[in-house]
Amino acid sequence: MSNYFSEKIVVDEPQTGLSTFVMPTGAKDVITFAGSLLCGSLYSPKKNSEISSLVAGMLDKGTNNKDKFEVSDILESVGAEINFFNTAHHLQFTGYCLKNDLDTVLCLLAEQLREPLFWDEELSTLKKRLIGNLERTKEDTKKQALITLLRELYPPHHPNHALTTDKKIELVSSVSTKEIKALHKNIYGLGGFNFSAAGDVSPDTINHLLKEQFSGWKEGIKKPYQLDLKARPVKAKERRMPIPDKQSIDMYLGQAIGLDRQHKDYYPLRMAIYVLGGNFSARLMQTVRDDAGLTYGIGSSVLGTNFGSDGYWSTWATFAPALLEKGREMTQDQIKKWHNKGITKKELDAKKTTITGTYQVGLDSTGGLAGRILSNAEQGEKTEHLDEYPEIIKNISLEMVNKTIKKYIKPKELTFVAAGTFAD
Amino acid sequence: MPPKNKKKEPGFKFIKASGGIEEYRLESNNLRILTLQEHSAPVATFMVTYHVGSRNEAIGYTGATHLLEHLMFKGSKKFNKEKNTAIWSELQNVGAQINATTWNDRTNYFEVVPSEHLERAIAIEADRMRHAFLKDEDRQPEMTVVRNEFERGENSPFDVLDKNIWATAYQAHPYHHSTIGWRSDIENVSTKRLQEFYNMYYWPNNATATIIGDFEKKRALALIKKYFGVHPSSQHTIPEMYTEEPEQEGPRRIIVKRGGQTGIVGIGHKTPKGLNKDTYALQVLGKILTEGKVSRLYKRIVDPGLATSLFMYDFPFKDCGMFISYVFLTPETDHSSVEEIVLKEYRQIIKEGIKQKDLNRAKAQIKANVAFSRDGSYAVASALNEAIAIGDWTFYSTFMDHIIKVSRKDVQRAAEKYLTEDQSTTGWFVPQN
Repeated sequence: MSNYFSEKIVVDEPQTGLSTFVMPTGAKDVITFAGSLLCGSLYSPKKNSEISSLVAGMLDKGTNNKDKFEVSDILESVGAEINFFNTAHHLQFTGYCLKNDLDTVLCLLAEQLREPLFWDEELSTLKKRLIGNLERTKEDTKKQALITLLRELYPPHHPNHALTTDKKIELVSSVSTKEIKALHKNIYGLGGFNFSAAGDVSPDTINHLLKEQFSGWKEGIKKPYQLDLKARPVKAKERRMPIPDKQSIDMYLGQAIGLDRQHKDYYPLRMAIYVLGGNFSARLMQTVRDDAGLTYGIGSSVLGTNFGSDGYWSTWATFAPALLEKGREMTQDQIKKWHNKGITKKELDAKKTTITGTYQVGLDSTGGLAGRILSNAEQGEKTEHLDEYPEIIKNISLEMVNKTIKKYIKPKELTFVAAGTFAD
Repeated sequence: MPPKNKKKEPGFKFIKASGGIEEYRLESNNLRILTLQEHSAPVATFMVTYHVGSRNEAIGYTGATHLLEHLMFKGSKKFNKEKNTAIWSELQNVGAQINATTWNDRTNYFEVVPSEHLERAIAIEADRMRHAFLKDEDRQPEMTVVRNEFERGENSPFDVLDKNIWATAYQAHPYHHSTIGWRSDIENVSTKRLQEFYNMYYWPNNATATIIGDFEKKRALALIKKYFGVHPSSQHTIPEMYTEEPEQEGPRRIIVKRGGQTGIVGIGHKTPKGLNKDTYALQVLGKILTEGKVSRLYKRIVDPGLATSLFMYDFPFKDCGMFISYVFLTPETDHSSVEEIVLKEYRQIIKEGIKQKDLNRAKAQIKANVAFSRDGSYAVASALNEAIAIGDWTFYSTFMDHIIKVSRKDVQRAAEKYLTEDQSTTGWFVPQN
């Protein structure tokens, strides 16, 4: 396993500003692919961060040469899919197709990215649907709790900040075709364009196709957005979001940690949090769920650490309204215990073998592979990093882990957020 | 078909092969074994499917199959917390993906493991097949865990509507209740009842063990024999569920009013048993109606902005099922206009049939789905599990062969036969602000 990825992934740059990472596997006939360009919300004009998400939403609504039904027909008649997503940093796409249809699908992808048709009428119906989806998120206890937590932890325009649902609706409503066209013209292009594929695929075929399809495309954004904002100095805030007629409450306990994934303490801290709540055999699931039966699910993780962002850690759980306070108390007790005494060598060793094994199990399908390879590339890491990762984990010492818990975790300063229907 | 001698394994009887999958019976206890070797990644999936699901429950113990599935993780004779060999840590500590699921017709336990740890997965599943603890002191906290799972489902307007449509469409047959069960049954079912359930159904002769991925067949079968061979087959006959749903004699309708933001319309029609030949035409029909942006209902409803999304499902079950289309409305759209558009499309297909182009597209979509259902050992296990559940695992391996044969007339005839008003159950979720 030591050189598994670096030996199998073929890295190339068929066009300047377009990097490819292609991994042939033993899968038969199927190919999954993923890609991204630096065109996410952070590159929208400051007055309206939703413009980029509407650009992404319009990419499957026709091109200069094909209307939206022709586009869909090309894909659906061969059972293929291409989906576009907008994130803080990226326009991302994922797709799959059968081996024999790769040519058709990649040609269409290029056309969608390079020559989208931005019709007023289409924008109007897309906005209607997006607003409908946003209205629906108002009844989603987990989403509303997370939005509230991120608004407490981060200031506006920080990549980890979240807009309220009403604000998003307001911004989506105001986007015009002119703004979409302008943003696409200004920021889409070659530069920070990464493309990964896995499955029954030849790297030469992919590179040849992409070179042909993206030849002559203009330059886009080359380097990730440089962050100049930090998390708020928030301490022990408490927020409750009432949502009627809900039988389960979503709770977050969270805190900004002030480090990104390049920081030397990142992996030791992540390991510490994995021991606390990374999987079913972690402490929180074993105590709050398995012993006490207070929740169906509880977990803890580090997020928001990409591209220099000062990330956060949070613990998330669901509780029946009548069990919320008891659940919260027990969760906080476990966090305090973990903070005061640290983790044990036995726990660290067990989680090291978990992560190494999980890595191996992740090779089972092509879908996971394309995404993992892309994520590594987006971070600016070489493919060797995918092989080094288990080694990085193996080399983490108990001392490093317990030191980072003390350094970054402040149990008394955790922000508490809950959303749902509260007991009287 | 490989030569016969390749399939001779001591202690096992070879039954049949299809699509690369081989079926054996462990002669000592009649455990069925399915194998599919695929060495593209150093990963294997082991799964045990018990032929028991929520269709085997009745009033007072709905949700028992699922609650029992949870208790199966609380420990068994060799794998438990006291011995420091708890099931979760034994498997997760080597990086395995481990879980279990319960549905109408089956309960399955699975482990996706680095190949070298396959034996551990087999040993654990064999031990808990007959030696699970099922203690009352474990049921108490696990009941509230499952109740929270139920409560989380109740948070979702779609889940609530779906439960209500099934409960309205099916009155006598146990598909009436969802697999999670009714809240009061989850809270009150006794440990004794769960133990009886376990002792009735958890036997090698009522289970299928499946091994897929990177393993050596001879050794894997030897491990199956070593660990599962210690169990006898049941002394009793596994009881058959015999309740049949009486014929529906008119359309049914249900409205759910709860706090929420946007409406949902669900229209269900009863379908035949999963192994009925019409299942293939109905699968094609479902794709034509709702799969993709050129599907008929997407073009009529989502594309003009009347809904944010839509989908349909028609899962083949052991007994009769349901062809249900769900539409998630945009804020200004009224339920009745969308309901009428869906029914109009149904009527049009019944009257005029479908175009060859639509049929070809649906088949291409299914072909890709089938290819991706072979992408990885877990994907295969997951799809195969549902075929095992309905009573014939070759439903999985021969599915595409049957789909290819579906004609335009077959689709029209299936629509005419099943999408009738008298067989329909329509549900609306009406949000209360």
